[in-house]
Amino acid sequence: MSARDDNNKQSTLVALTSSALLLPAYQAAADAPPEYTELGVRYSKYEEDDIEGKKSFGGGSERYEIDIAQFHLLAPVGDNLSLALDVQWEDMSGASPWFVGESSSGPRVIMSGASIEDTRTEVSVATRYYYDRGNAGISYTYSDEDDYESDAFSLDASLNSEDGMTTYTAAISSSWDDIEPTQGSIPTNAVDEEKDIRSAWIGVTRIVSRQAMVRFGLSYTYRDGYLTDPYKSRDSRPDERKEYTFSTGYRHFFDEYDAALHLDYRYFDDDWDIASHALDVAWVQNLPEDVQLTPFFRYYTQDEARFFNVVTETTDRFYADDYRLSAYGALTFGLRVRKDIGNWSVNATGERYRSDQSWSLYNGNEAPGLVDFWRVSFGLDYTFR
Amino acid sequence: MKYLTGLAVALLLCGCETVQPWERGTLAKEEMQWQSDVMEGRMRDQIHASKEASSGGTGAAGGGCGCN
Repeated sequence: MSARDDNNKQSTLVALTSSALLLPAYQAAADAPPEYTELGVRYSKYEEDDIEGKKSFGGGSERYEIDIAQFHLLAPVGDNLSLALDVQWEDMSGASPWFVGESSSGPRVIMSGASIEDTRTEVSVATRYYYDRGNAGISYTYSDEDDYESDAFSLDASLNSEDGMTTYTAAISSSWDDIEPTQGSIPTNAVDEEKDIRSAWIGVTRIVSRQAMVRFGLSYTYRDGYLTDPYKSRDSRPDERKEYTFSTGYRHFFDEYDAALHLDYRYFDDDWDIASHALDVAWVQNLPEDVQLTPFFRYYTQDEARFFNVVTETTDRFYADDYRLSAYGALTFGLRVRKDIGNWSVNATGERYRSDQSWSLYNGNEAPGLVDFWRVSFGLDYTFR
Repeated sequence: MKYLTGLAVALLLCGCETVQPWERGTLAKEEMQWQSDVMEGRMRDQIHASKEASSGGTGAAGGGCGCN
């Protein structure tokens, strides 16, 4: 063996040892920038089911559909930095519930008519600095629609325990949003309004075994400003909202199946008396020929806001008939498939979301506007190895 | 407070096996990440935040949108 081969062998060993030593509990990715630049694009189609004739005045109606294009770039910059750029374009059209009225056969929705035509562009830039026992990031996101504009900043940092078994993470964010509802098609509740969002999050991630990790998180979000939906006829909400979440997650790799189990749960509570539970389960199955198949399932249930009524009175100080503030349960079933070909990776995802009051853990009357939708996505990723 | 207690108990319970750095290869796999597809995660979070009354749980909240 030549001295050069020997040196190569030694540097490989050093590299492997160093990267292993750097593996923290959080993300298990080394606290170093990504080794290679990664680029990805996605196209998605989101389409809501038509609202049934028996649930709306004037017969059935089409609802919302959105075409979404996404771009993602993550690149290492020097030894300790990475830079990320995310861009998302959306083209939205269709109708959404305007208000709910009483009929002889029960409450029915009056739709806005196929009046919504909007586009949204979101650009997010982020940079991350990696140090011996963690990393810290800063990001700025700008979102622009015909009737809505948002500027948001966020900061986060993580620190690994000395043995790398535990990672502590904290994040704060702030956003300033402007709302200027499009005038003309239907009367709106506002002309020019603002709202601010402040949020903080802390989390702990812990290695459980060679095959498993667990994490816990707590968050607090404060929304202040115009929180009423400007396009709903019977909608008047408090100008302040305080939200709390507790979340936990678990990852377990089963060597015998070459597969990983993902479990995630979130409990949400706020001062509008809304509480919710969200449970996500996914099974990431590796198959021969670099194929990965991931069936996933989600159960969601929420309680209604204290000022929600299926058919609302507008004499109270706060009122809303928005189905999104009602008590209901929702089930999602989806499948994701991925195939790696050299430096390329192609993927496709399909999911079905259905909601129903009878699936809720909370009592309440069913809002006729509850939504069901399909979503399909196709993606392509490239790594510059 | 009950959540914090639960958190502390869970951390104590799962602190029984020390996994050495060189034994963390499986944990570093892409399929073990908390979020392996950034774009997929962003979109799902946004859809749920605009169609449901609650959001968050994966970090500090971002900016809003006029999504109906």
